[in-house]
Amino acid sequence: MPGGIKIENLNFSYTTGNPILKDISLEVGQGEKLGIIGPSGAGKSTLLLHLNGIIAGEGTVRIGDTIVEKKSLPVIRKKMGLVFQNPDDQLFNPTVEEDVAFGPLNFGYNRQEAAYRVSQALKAMNLEGFENADSHHLSLGERKRVALATVLATSPEVIAFDEPFASLDSVMVVQLLDIIEKLDATLVIVSQSLLPLISCCDRLAVMVSGQIRACGQKEEILKNERLMREGGVDMDFYRRVYKKYLA
Amino acid sequence: MKHSFIDKHSNLDSPVHRIDPRARLIAAFSAIVIIVSEPHGNLLPFAFYGVIILGVAAISKIPPAYILKRCLVVSPFIIMAAVSYPLSLTGKDGYEAGQLLTEGVRTGLTIFLKAFFALLLLILLTSTGRFHRLLAGLRMLGMPRLLGILSALMYRYVFILHDELLRTTRARDSRTPGKIRINRFRVYGNQAAMIFIRSLDRSKMVYNSMLSRGFSGEFPDMNKSKLRTGDVLVTGFFVLLLFVFRMINQPLIDQFLNT
Repeated sequence: MPGGIKIENLNFSYTTGNPILKDISLEVGQGEKLGIIGPSGAGKSTLLLHLNGIIAGEGTVRIGDTIVEKKSLPVIRKKMGLVFQNPDDQLFNPTVEEDVAFGPLNFGYNRQEAAYRVSQALKAMNLEGFENADSHHLSLGERKRVALATVLATSPEVIAFDEPFASLDSVMVVQLLDIIEKLDATLVIVSQSLLPLISCCDRLAVMVSGQIRACGQKEEILKNERLMREGGVDMDFYRRVYKKYLA
Repeated sequence: MKHSFIDKHSNLDSPVHRIDPRARLIAAFSAIVIIVSEPHGNLLPFAFYGVIILGVAAISKIPPAYILKRCLVVSPFIIMAAVSYPLSLTGKDGYEAGQLLTEGVRTGLTIFLKAFFALLLLILLTSTGRFHRLLAGLRMLGMPRLLGILSALMYRYVFILHDELLRTTRARDSRTPGKIRINRFRVYGNQAAMIFIRSLDRSKMVYNSMLSRGFSGEFPDMNKSKLRTGDVLVTGFFVLLLFVFRMINQPLIDQFLNT
């Protein structure tokens, strides 16, 4: 399964002992877009960190045909890109160019190839001409796009997003959705913003208290209001607002 | 992360900015060694060093106000050391307590000038190029790898501390109309603790982000520095000028004072 994700019986707890992930099994096909919803503290971000091998629990995580383990980390990190919730955590270099080139140079591309990848990634994010800009002087929407460019520059087969729509206005959300739509990769998107999530994902998983409660076609999941409420989404609220103000 | 409070004038275009970081490092540290090696008590050579350093500062286009502001941060420590030296001599070797020795004052002044010029050179060194390029230059000059990594990480993480300081100060100010009315030490203590805890959490996230993009201990540099012949010649001339002056200034000054 090149470019897909397979998680089998994944368990994880921090040193405090409370289990964060409990027996998670999940499969994402190549090129598929999976959305994960769940209340705060459900373990969604922790699950994403496992995909990149930043933390390791018990169980098996596969990216494509490669098992995520210590010896395979250089391969895994080239295959799998992670876009963090807060772009300021992802942008730590003085200029946009250096931030975007950080991955390609670390993965062994020469300066010429890295420069080409930087220009391509910035072009894809509509950020041409931002090469020498200071990352922290950009708007939040621009910083989020630069953060995504830092990942795209390594051409990963799988990209995981942690709350990509958080703090963005609806115009920026639509821009980001357009970009996500065009990505040629397997995507896992963790978000509590239901509307953008369902508009860009093929399937939806609901994660509660470290467990995957359900995973299936988004239309089916959305019909199960009790499940959605467990996942932190009150469908009745959306309905009421729509009827009152938008219908 | 805000890099501007260190790299504020690093993007200026001046002949000094264009010199390779390695050449600038060698020039600055050689100049510091030469100036510091001047014997105590002789003030005239420092006029020459001062003119040279101010000349470099003018060529670098760094605003004098910025250099002065930077100097003011460290100057109190230098002044304290320079003033305490002559005072420490009073009451010794048969001199009356409170009597300042001319020789002591002159030595105190040379201590001040040496430290002040070294400070000026370091400010010019760090302000005329990106700090991470300077670190890359140090690595190329043979700085141990571990020290290089630690310095590079510190450079990145110091901004996290700065960010958190700004955020917590804004949060505090937003709820403080005027003076703080409760125990101020407790408020500042709590804020300091919070800055460190939050910085620790954020630095973990930044490190995770580095790892996820293949970080394995080396910070790659997109722009490979090139040591040009011009850089070598300018640096060589600068160092040689100071060195030759240092070697011949004593007899010249003696001759000048005798005539």
